[in-house]
Amino acid sequence: MSKTSPPPADSPPEGSPSAWVTSQPPRAIEILRRLIGFPVMVVRHRDLITSSVKRELAVRFQGTLLGFLWPLVHPLFIFAVYYFIFTKLLSFKMPNLQPGQESAMGVYMFIGVVVWASFGESLGRGCNIIVENGNLIKKLAFPSETLPLNIVLVNVVTMIFGVAMFLLATFATPVWKAPGIELLWIPVLLTLQTLFTYGLVLILSTMQVFLRDTAQVVAIGVTVWMFLTPLFWVPEAIPQIAQYQGFIEANPMNHIVYAWREVLMGVESVLGEVLNYTNDLAIPDHNGKLLVEITRLVSEGSTVEQARAAVGADLVPLSMSHSLIDSIRIFACWAVGMFVTGFSLFSLAQRRFADEV
Amino acid sequence: MSSNEYSLEVEGLSKSYRMYQSPFRRITEVLSGGRIKGHQEFTALSDVNFKMKPGTSLGLCGANGAGKSTLLKVLAGTTAPSAGRYRMKGRVASLLELGAGFHLDFTGRANIFMNGIMMGYSRREMEGKMDEIIEFAELGSYIDEPVRTYSSGMGLRLGFSVAVAVDPDILIIDEVFAVGDMYFQKKCVDRIYDFKRRGKTILFCSHSLYDIRQMCDDAIWLKNGNVAAIGNSVFATNEYTSFQRDHIGTGSGTLSDEYPDIPGSETRGKQLPRIVDARMYLIGTDVEAYEIRPGDSIELRVWWENPDPKGTPINIGTGLLRQDMTTCAGMGTHLDGVKLEGPKGCTVLQMPDMRLLAGQFLVPVLMMDGEGVHKYQEYLMPENLVVRNETKELGLFRMNHTWEHRHDLPVPAPKAVI
Repeated sequence: MSKTSPPPADSPPEGSPSAWVTSQPPRAIEILRRLIGFPVMVVRHRDLITSSVKRELAVRFQGTLLGFLWPLVHPLFIFAVYYFIFTKLLSFKMPNLQPGQESAMGVYMFIGVVVWASFGESLGRGCNIIVENGNLIKKLAFPSETLPLNIVLVNVVTMIFGVAMFLLATFATPVWKAPGIELLWIPVLLTLQTLFTYGLVLILSTMQVFLRDTAQVVAIGVTVWMFLTPLFWVPEAIPQIAQYQGFIEANPMNHIVYAWREVLMGVESVLGEVLNYTNDLAIPDHNGKLLVEITRLVSEGSTVEQARAAVGADLVPLSMSHSLIDSIRIFACWAVGMFVTGFSLFSLAQRRFADEV
Repeated sequence: MSSNEYSLEVEGLSKSYRMYQSPFRRITEVLSGGRIKGHQEFTALSDVNFKMKPGTSLGLCGANGAGKSTLLKVLAGTTAPSAGRYRMKGRVASLLELGAGFHLDFTGRANIFMNGIMMGYSRREMEGKMDEIIEFAELGSYIDEPVRTYSSGMGLRLGFSVAVAVDPDILIIDEVFAVGDMYFQKKCVDRIYDFKRRGKTILFCSHSLYDIRQMCDDAIWLKNGNVAAIGNSVFATNEYTSFQRDHIGTGSGTLSDEYPDIPGSETRGKQLPRIVDARMYLIGTDVEAYEIRPGDSIELRVWWENPDPKGTPINIGTGLLRQDMTTCAGMGTHLDGVKLEGPKGCTVLQMPDMRLLAGQFLVPVLMMDGEGVHKYQEYLMPENLVVRNETKELGLFRMNHTWEHRHDLPVPAPKAVI
């Protein structure tokens, strides 16, 4: 028997038949095995994944005038619109900024928009991905869990364009000071965000197969979620924020957006520059006063931790008041949890996709 | 022996689909934990059992919706069985639809690449196979054009070329090699034969009972999801055709296989001409003969009916096809200017001094339209024609020839070079 190619790793060795394929859904142990073997699956199908991502990017941008600039145009416009509304129309000004730092609010918003554009697009497109590829799923035996992954990765790539553009701007222009060593966190943030988004897309795309209303709900949900996440507003600057704090803390996207901001803008900057304007907002709230005090101490040269210690333990912890490490840690828990849930659900439902799409 | 001698084992395999009339019913069923039944079961396949050894091939025949494709889909792994189980040995490749996953905006070359990678090949393997695939597809410079510029036949060529480049141990094919022109079909058939020769297991379904008889050792006739007959391919296809023969004209509606090209409304409700029976006899006798020797004289008798002789002129065609689909002889009443008149009759084709040498030949009998272009029906003879040879002659047929010894013919002078 001539063989021009080695069998893939999952096919049994020559001479022994594969395990029986039965009507039973996969058992917990099999799902666990697949979860643990996920990196192996990704490596084995790396060619499929990379060429699908490339193809998807090419389909989107090949033959367009702006080409790969398009993924930037969308967040830029959203950013421009919201920047105009929030800072000009709603007089959301930052009067106490140092000269040359007027862009603080803009940078703050831009990072939020870039992160959200990637996440929201993944959910919107990813939700339909199994149904859209129904014909493939019915006719080709291939690992369908790569389909949602492709969509997520495509949007991660476009996000990387956005981040790169931001970094280029900070290094080349005086718009914002260039970030430093914190940049090393970027791969971690990208990985966690990918994992979280992938898990969620797995859940949504599975639900969409069985209930086509899902996509509609997701479209609304993504918009609502976007406004509930501090992209265009600064939670610390809102007087009554303390009563909603638990709600803000429970939003995983808050943590990842916060982490991105700390990495790209710098911890000091978030406190010192962006929140400077809280002085003028005349917060009647106890918390607000303490924040102003912290900000003053920081601007006089203490570190954030020192300032917090000096002000005392009365400070109600706000989302902004935990550190970068804390946000990453919290989001990592979310990411792993979401991935495990999504992947298990998908593995259970996968065998029925061909019958439903 | 252990069960390991089989490359494919199928036990009690069933597949049923749940059909929900509305999403609301599905929600109700889910929320009630299954206590309120919101779906109807549709059984596409029930209790199929068979085993295959390496190097054998199995054909599936049956009417549309009999469960052929469902069985292949389950075995290809795109959908899960509802009951029963199966297992396989070795690498499996399935070809359920040509060109599934092609992207119209990309070139043929790029699509070959993507398609191969989806089938589980690595980039490097595909680079190695690329030339072979392109050569097989014979698309010329079109290979670097976007697939949207292809004709449908070219798309099929591309799809098949990628699929057969896969070198699996088990090949599952869903009626896809009836593609392209005759030349390409022949290439495809050759490739499938090649698979078989190399000890691969082949499973395929087809509406062409000739293909099944030719390419398969065994066959299954599926009827409404059940195995109606299983056995060697001649037996199973005969069961199927005799069932069809018995039910023809009763309007049971499952005869579309034998009338593959009925063009919609024009002929609906109108009785079509058909072949009632066809048999091979020793010439002038009532002795049926399917095993003959070169030089025998035989005749083919075709009994036919034509309900509308005025409006539907008919012709009958037949031929002798060797197993590799080489047409060794082709005869038609339209070619010889014979008119078939009246509502029914028996047309006899006499073939004295039959010259074919040893081999097994298919004898398709075709009911064709007045021009001999459109096929109303392809009738399958109950048996293939087997010619046995007792001499050492080589070739396809015995050329009319004589040998002679001459002394009066000198070597001719060399021709002058101009």
